[in-house]
Amino acid sequence: MTPNAASASSGPSRRSFLASTAVATAAVAGGMPLLAACGGSDSGSREGATSGKDAKKLLPAFVATNVVTPDIPSKNGSAVGFTSKLDLADLKTSVPKKLGKGGKVTIMSPFWGSPPKGNNAYYTAMNDLIGVDVAWQNQDGNTYDQKLGAVLASSKVPDMVVIPGWNMGGKIPSAIIGKFADLGPYLSGDKVKEYPNLAAIPTDAWQRCIFGGKLRGLPMPASYVPNIVPLYRKDIFDEEGYELPTSADEFMALAKDITNARAKRWACGDMKWTAFNAWGVLSGSEKPLGWNLVDGKLVYRVETEEFLEALEWTRKLFAAGVVHPDFKLGKSQAVDPSTKFAAGEFLIYNNDISSWYGQQASQATQNKKFRISGMDIFGHDGGDPSIFATMPANIFAFINKGASESVIRDALAVANVTAAPYGTKEYMLTNYGVEGTHYTVKDGVPVKNDKGNQEAINAYVMVASPAPTLAHPDLPDITREQVEWQQRMGAFTKKSTFYGMQITEPTRYTNLSNDFEQLEDDITRGRKKISDMQQAVSDWKSKGGDKLRDWYQKLLDENGSAAN
Amino acid sequence: MSHSTVPRSKVEAETTEKSPVAPGGATGSREKQRPDKVSLRLRFRRDRVLLLMTLPAVLLVLLFNYVPILGNVVAFQDYDPYISDNGVVSMLNSPFVGLENFQRIFEDSAFWNAVQNTLVLFFLQLVLFFPIPILLALLINSVIRPRVRAVAQAVLYLPHFFSWVLVIAVFQQLFGGAGIFSQLLRQHGYDGLDFMTDPDTFKFLITAQSVWKDAGWGIIVFLAALSSVSPDLYEAAAMDGANRWRRMWHVTLPALRPVIALLLVLRVGDALTVGFEQILLQRDMVGPGASEVLDTFVWWTGVRNQDFGYAAAAGLVKGVVSLGLVLAANKVAHLMGEQGVYKK
Repeated sequence: MTPNAASASSGPSRRSFLASTAVATAAVAGGMPLLAACGGSDSGSREGATSGKDAKKLLPAFVATNVVTPDIPSKNGSAVGFTSKLDLADLKTSVPKKLGKGGKVTIMSPFWGSPPKGNNAYYTAMNDLIGVDVAWQNQDGNTYDQKLGAVLASSKVPDMVVIPGWNMGGKIPSAIIGKFADLGPYLSGDKVKEYPNLAAIPTDAWQRCIFGGKLRGLPMPASYVPNIVPLYRKDIFDEEGYELPTSADEFMALAKDITNARAKRWACGDMKWTAFNAWGVLSGSEKPLGWNLVDGKLVYRVETEEFLEALEWTRKLFAAGVVHPDFKLGKSQAVDPSTKFAAGEFLIYNNDISSWYGQQASQATQNKKFRISGMDIFGHDGGDPSIFATMPANIFAFINKGASESVIRDALAVANVTAAPYGTKEYMLTNYGVEGTHYTVKDGVPVKNDKGNQEAINAYVMVASPAPTLAHPDLPDITREQVEWQQRMGAFTKKSTFYGMQITEPTRYTNLSNDFEQLEDDITRGRKKISDMQQAVSDWKSKGGDKLRDWYQKLLDENGSAAN
Repeated sequence: MSHSTVPRSKVEAETTEKSPVAPGGATGSREKQRPDKVSLRLRFRRDRVLLLMTLPAVLLVLLFNYVPILGNVVAFQDYDPYISDNGVVSMLNSPFVGLENFQRIFEDSAFWNAVQNTLVLFFLQLVLFFPIPILLALLINSVIRPRVRAVAQAVLYLPHFFSWVLVIAVFQQLFGGAGIFSQLLRQHGYDGLDFMTDPDTFKFLITAQSVWKDAGWGIIVFLAALSSVSPDLYEAAAMDGANRWRRMWHVTLPALRPVIALLLVLRVGDALTVGFEQILLQRDMVGPGASEVLDTFVWWTGVRNQDFGYAAAAGLVKGVVSLGLVLAANKVAHLMGEQGVYKK
């Protein structure tokens, strides 16, 4: 997840992700088009998935690049880690010749934080390197889903649009299939070799880019180990002698021990997502991941006992008063929790793994004592946890169907630069900006300055990325902890039946599961009861859930499972 | 939808004014009718400058208030805006589903929950909010020193210019679970009180926020009405021995009556519009059970879930009910001898 490397400000992206998963996750899962689907061109049926032989024809060839050997190789699905110092004079060049033809490409993309001015030094330098005049249309990432539907319904879709998987709710998958270009003629098979950095993107990430039977997306590969980490204040834990919990009961006891509301200290934030992992609940990050074959029958995540138990435990945390009151506000928290975390108002909270680094980096100058770490996900009963994998790519860039070939080529030239691996000049420019302007190098460690934190964030990294990479030479200890956390948790991570597939649910079912996330939050905050969830699940079954099960079963029979 | 009803009634008012006096009146009306009938062309010629001057406004109203009404056709469709590059083409190509969307709405408990919340909030605001600007206006009007009056007015108007995000953040800092008020309680050994996330009192919270933000702004129109009352009336009343309350009852309030009636009619027409941004921002704090109103329901299903046909149907139902309400309220105003929004 390179964008995370860019700055602390990507924290909100995680929040928005948490906010919207169940509601917005679209149902485009992966693999191959249903038989019915693949007959059609753009106008054909849009449901289903593409995998197997059909997918092989579409997928780009994989050509590994080994520019720099990682200090920590990937294991159990983790990202690769780079911790050692960087010799900037020795950076490799992965794009020897400008591929851009000088055209103009407009890109709409979610942005977390305040976007910089259009003609800033970073954008100019990137455009010079690529040879394309990229014009950014940055939209607030937290409310991106609210604008996306309207923009895609208009007749003026930008040349390129970046869409995170968690924003693909409602009819967005249908929009993707209807409005974006088939990149197969440019990338399938050996054609991708024209863009070596794109050829080095792992195949399972490309597999996720097949929408409606065509290769339409450019992926941001991600580790399949769940990205939500229970982060905690290691400095305060050490000072007070708190021990890390290894079961749900221990967590509860610890939380009660920590909380002292009178002194404005609470134990934790909303721990729902950690509870789901501790109880081994099927992933809620994307609808197809919520289905799993159990004893020959597909079950959906909300139908399981574990789901209810995890909710009940989270509800108890809220009821015990150990959760910081801001988290009762739900998604609409008026205040960014990271500042209250830094102030020690609470000591544990869930966030994207990127904020592990981001928080530490942003506190480096303000609070020398501040030390953040991630605790291992515990099995609820004290045993090993059982965790379900997330998708190997969750953010995609698409090119407008109406774009001319030269615009498509220019857009791919942009992607080929942004997907450059760590250790190259292109990676440094994409992620850090221009040396001297956006970052300075001290003892082989690049450190961004304020201008770098303002400008060299969030934009270009959204287009396409190299294989999952964690590289923070300025905080090597944090990098090592992050990768090792992924490796330890990866050992307990299983893949559910539709892992890795890009599945488009039939439109009549796309809004069926919309209300579950809201109901989860109502229950944990004591506004609704567990029995309301049981009622909602039985309504869900009768309103189409059972039919949706049959639909998935058919998909499974026809395509097989991508998980192994 | 409800907005479009206002210009419509205005247009109606214009046309009724220009049309000949209603028949069945005195014999004089017959004499008037004849020249009118023959001179339609003449009248056009006579008024052509005036008509030309209204043309831009009429075009704008047509373009932005009437043409979009045609879009309501998606309420009868399974509308998919993504099947073509143009909204109108998509509209032509989306399948018609008859009244299915409406049927779904009436079977949808979430919709009825939104209707209930909307109505409860409307009545709460009518009782708790509506009288406050009147009281404030009377209060301000009784202040004699211009300086004090100007300062008081400025202080009262100011919150109107704050955005809802800001207002809610301020309320959160004061009354939230970790806010100043709760922390003060905790420091004195009591439990903290969280007003912001309590679904049971949410509607009062919303009303309190509205009062704080907009009650001051609402006094403007009443102050204007008050300033038109001739001081002679007060003088005469005082001469006749009327005390303060008598003067207020017999002079001030009758002067405000037409304005109050007008605003009440308009408010009733807007009954189903009880605050979109304000509620959307706080929807997650208490959950949709307590907070969903019709506007947020339409937004959530339409924009957020791209279920446009369904959302359009809900919006259409709301618009039709609003139109009925405004007509009914106007009728009541007429029965009470007030002008209401338009004359008969």
